[in-house]
Amino acid sequence: MKIYKAVILIIFFVIAGISWIGRNNMSERTHLLKFVVPEGWPQPVYDFKNNPLTEEGFQLGRKLFYDGRLSKDGNFPCASCHQQFAAFATYDHSLSHGFHNSLTRRNAPGLFNMAWQKEFMWDGGINHLDLQPLAPISDTMEMAENINDVIQKLRSDEEYRKMFKAAFGDEIINTQRMTKALSQFVLMMVSNNSKYDRVMRGEDSFNLPQKLGYDIFKQKCASCHAEPLFTDLSYRNTGFPVDSFLMDYGRMKITRNAGDSLKFKVPSLRNAQVTFPYSHDGRMFSLLSMMDHYRKSVVKSPTTDSLVKNGIKLSNFEIGQLTAFIYTLTDSVLLRDTRFAPPGYEKRTQQAPAEHQHIYKQ
Amino acid sequence: MLNFLAVVVLLLSAAPDFTNDKIDHTFIISFNNKVGNNDLHLDSQNYRNSFGEIFTVHQFKYYISNIELRDSISGDSEKFPDKYFLIDEGDSMSKIISLNTSLPHITSIKFMIGVDSLKNVSGVQSGDLDPAKGMFWTWNTGYIMAKLEGESPSAQTAGHRFSFHAGGYKKDENTARVVVLKLPQQQRNNVMIEADAAKWFDALHEIKIEAAPACHEPGKLAVMLADNYSEMFSIPQNK
Ligand code: HEC
Ligand code: HEC
Repeated sequence: MKIYKAVILIIFFVIAGISWIGRNNMSERTHLLKFVVPEGWPQPVYDFKNNPLTEEGFQLGRKLFYDGRLSKDGNFPCASCHQQFAAFATYDHSLSHGFHNSLTRRNAPGLFNMAWQKEFMWDGGINHLDLQPLAPISDTMEMAENINDVIQKLRSDEEYRKMFKAAFGDEIINTQRMTKALSQFVLMMVSNNSKYDRVMRGEDSFNLPQKLGYDIFKQKCASCHAEPLFTDLSYRNTGFPVDSFLMDYGRMKITRNAGDSLKFKVPSLRNAQVTFPYSHDGRMFSLLSMMDHYRKSVVKSPTTDSLVKNGIKLSNFEIGQLTAFIYTLTDSVLLRDTRFAPPGYEKRTQQAPAEHQHIYKQ
Repeated sequence: MLNFLAVVVLLLSAAPDFTNDKIDHTFIISFNNKVGNNDLHLDSQNYRNSFGEIFTVHQFKYYISNIELRDSISGDSEKFPDKYFLIDEGDSMSKIISLNTSLPHITSIKFMIGVDSLKNVSGVQSGDLDPAKGMFWTWNTGYIMAKLEGESPSAQTAGHRFSFHAGGYKKDENTARVVVLKLPQQQRNNVMIEADAAKWFDALHEIKIEAAPACHEPGKLAVMLADNYSEMFSIPQNK
């Protein structure tokens, strides 16, 4: 009996030793990526300890983000609705196209500074960034059943097996790893290099309209579109009547509290120049129409925010200045950052796509 | 690899050593799903709830977590905080839970039906908690704690289907329930727990298929279902 036990013990230690050595090898293979919190910004809420950023995880996330196989018919990768030149919103679409000629029910928001967000979607229904990809991947709203199909597709692809191994140490491919990799890619999309940011850092200065616009903004808009994220991430009713076809009551769907009727998450105004059309269902086609809404067409209801209930007084002149200021929030560094372009982009060219260059000028 | 290690550890612990009662051993909990007094058979069999509504069962699944084994003789107890099990009538292996414990005489067992709120707010999990298991709402984050689906002529829906997906982890909408069961006699190695799906309709609240054929979001109906299923477990005598 004693010999039997001793033999088992020896086997145990040998295996433990091998696995320990294996672990060491793995951490040598991955390269940690640094997430830089811009000076003066709050701490991010994303828990990086549970998903340390690595170059390998980021590159895997990038491949996934641009891979149509994540959708049922192969046509709709994340990037089909989240386009880099539109700050990862859908350029010039009120609603995005999805499977089978369907349209999404909401306007695709830009993706940046996600590390600071605790809740996602216009109604805040999703409580963790890692979970966000599961919503578009599962085609029915009710069941997550075709996540399995996606995972199967990835498992049967040798390139993915290699990349999952490089990022996570072995070839296991599951929902958790896929979504963590996607998060790594999305988390790195930090927008803090607009003209506004340069001015705040003392590296640049506003021209007169921009400066006047900034002052008006701080007075009339910043209580909701709060710096530095240009959203306070709260849910508010800004007086848009419900669309009779979409019947979207926003936050109320999540809380089942009538007091949340028609409230939507305050969107960031960073990169607003390229994320048009605006509002949760994209019904506003320009900054001008958006501001016109604030001064002319706010619909009063019991949940309409007190800050906008009686409209926001804005002269045409002020709207011009505000627009000039909002354009300073366009982050051309993010829009052109080749790290976020489709995989392999760097090899093809060092230049940003020419057809969209005009929008970076400000 | 980990499995292999576990086997080695098990072998080690299984090597007889009777000087001390408190040695590691496996304790097996098996679940036997029923409808009233009948065994549950998916799809093939008609059942009747206490309102006379006839139904078949297509899916019956529930999470079991936060298990605690108690030994009232020694006063000891053991918790298994990080173990989550999806019991699925359609997968017979899933109905057997195996735990490693050192308690010699287990007299009662406490567990949660559902998934605690922490795991509802911590991103994407793996194993039985993998959202790909279909027990997860992706548009309004949260686990479906338990699911009963089937067909009934009383359901005025497409295909006469009824589907109870009970979930919700927030205050006032929580559908996880803690259950404590006393064992009829102390056990060292195993226990069999019965789960009676018929209780979903009437244990504490009356829920008629005709009136409520579908529950697909957190809220009042889900909470009533949860109250009901918290009563569905029992341990039969002399088995
Ligand atoms: C068919 C178009 C479409 C596809 C494909 C798509 N999205 Fe989205 N995305 C949207 C829309 C629309 C919203 C807003 C949904 C809502 O609020 O209800 C959104 C919201 C988001 C958000 C939340 C942003 C915020 O500020 O709350 C993230 C993050 C996101 N998507 C990431 C992804 C990732 C990662 C993928 C790929 C797995 C993806 N999306 C695929 C259309 C799409
Ligand atoms: C009471 C809080 C509040 C105030 C004050 C406010 N906003 Fe908004 N803003 C919101 C909310 C909420 C939305 C989203 C509305 C919706 O989709 O239903 C929004 C949307 C927008 C959008 C569209 C962004 C997008 O990506 O869709 C723009 C542009 C905008 N606001 C500009 C302004 C300007 C300029 C001011 C000041 C004149 C201002 N807002 C004042 C809360 C506010």
